Amino acid sequence: MSASKARHTESSDPHWIEWISGISSCALVGAMIGWIAWQAITANDEPPQLSTTITQVRKSGSTFRVEFDIVNSAPVTAAGVTVMGEIIDATAAVETAEVTFDYVPAQSKSRGALLFSTDPAGRDLRVRPSGYTEP
Amino acid sequence: MSEKAASAEDWREERNRFLAGLLRGGAGALIFGLPMMMTMELWALGFTIAPIRLLISAIATIPLLFVLAQRMGFERTFTWREALRDAIIAYAIGILASAALLVLLGILKLAMPADEWVGKIAIQAIPASIGAMLGRSQLGAEKGSEEDEPDDDGENAGDQVTTSYPTELFMMAVGALFLSLNVAPTEEIILISYKMTQWHTLITIFVSITLMHGFVYALAFRGGHELSPDTPQWHAFVRFTMPGYVVAILISLYVLWVFGRLDDTAWTQILMTTIVLALPASIGAAAARLIL
Repeated sequence: MSASKARHTESSDPHWIEWISGISSCALVGAMIGWIAWQAITANDEPPQLSTTITQVRKSGSTFRVEFDIVNSAPVTAAGVTVMGEIIDATAAVETAEVTFDYVPAQSKSRGALLFSTDPAGRDLRVRPSGYTEP
Repeated sequence: MSEKAASAEDWREERNRFLAGLLRGGAGALIFGLPMMMTMELWALGFTIAPIRLLISAIATIPLLFVLAQRMGFERTFTWREALRDAIIAYAIGILASAALLVLLGILKLAMPADEWVGKIAIQAIPASIGAMLGRSQLGAEKGSEEDEPDDDGENAGDQVTTSYPTELFMMAVGALFLSLNVAPTEEIILISYKMTQWHTLITIFVSITLMHGFVYALAFRGGHELSPDTPQWHAFVRFTMPGYVVAILISLYVLWVFGRLDDTAWTQILMTTIVLALPASIGAAAARLIL
């Protein structure tokens, strides 16, 4: 217990391992700073670039589950991203469904699903992002 | 007759000391664990977390407590067997305290499946058990000091002590883990990293490192560290502060991974979130060097 009350004096004759870990830490932090600085310099004011791809349509019980990936290829995060799905028969939308993502981070991917009661097979299925806010 | 009475007296004293240790552990678990027990995201994590991550973090807690026990412990521990016993006791206190509090707060209900019970308790037990371990040593420090003092001073006469390098790094890891566990599960950490630009992040790195160094060396806190007059200032910076910051970064990465904050995320974004979390983590690491 006395250890917690006393003042420490660092040894003035350090083991070589302290220097190795110290120097490699400096290198690591330096590399990290370099990477982020590079990103900061090359970043532009691009708005979020959102695109969706349908990965799977599956029937579960009486609903049809349309799974999709949403990718944000811009270096800016989008928040409150709404994705709308429509099943279109001939010209009119038979059914629409909507889902909201809290975040789609910069240059990242999120997964989601829309649930329909109409079978999308043989009809036109459209899934697209319909809006976002800045975080 | 008098010998018998003396040994009974000894036994009673021993038992009381052990009970006091358990109670301090319980108090520590509450002080350190409550903020997390009252965090909404952690309740949800109890059932959304990937089981393998929960398993890894639950198992990783045991060696962590073991090493902590060797340094402080419920009783004064010397052998690894006693340290292991103390680690398990701290873990048990953490689990019981978490279970009791979660039931009290109405977060655990009988109707919930066993999976959910175990998941929610297992997550909370990690900070609570570290709290139990620290509670014993920090809360009991005042009274315990006079009985601990005599043989501790053997080689470190006066109030000068040196701590081994791995122990120093380990203590930083515990401090970093502790503070980052408090904030990592909340949505704010990722939200902050989304709001920040890369320039903000760069400055955050410098601020974290400066704070870490300043906490330990510049401000004259009790328990602060000093350099011998002939050692230049940058020696401590390279040998302790920079590795300490890397420890804070690694702990932040680990905690974010456990909480599933890094899945399907780009490298730059992962790095930025980690640096945001490393700010509290590095302060925790610096504080641990002073307190523990």
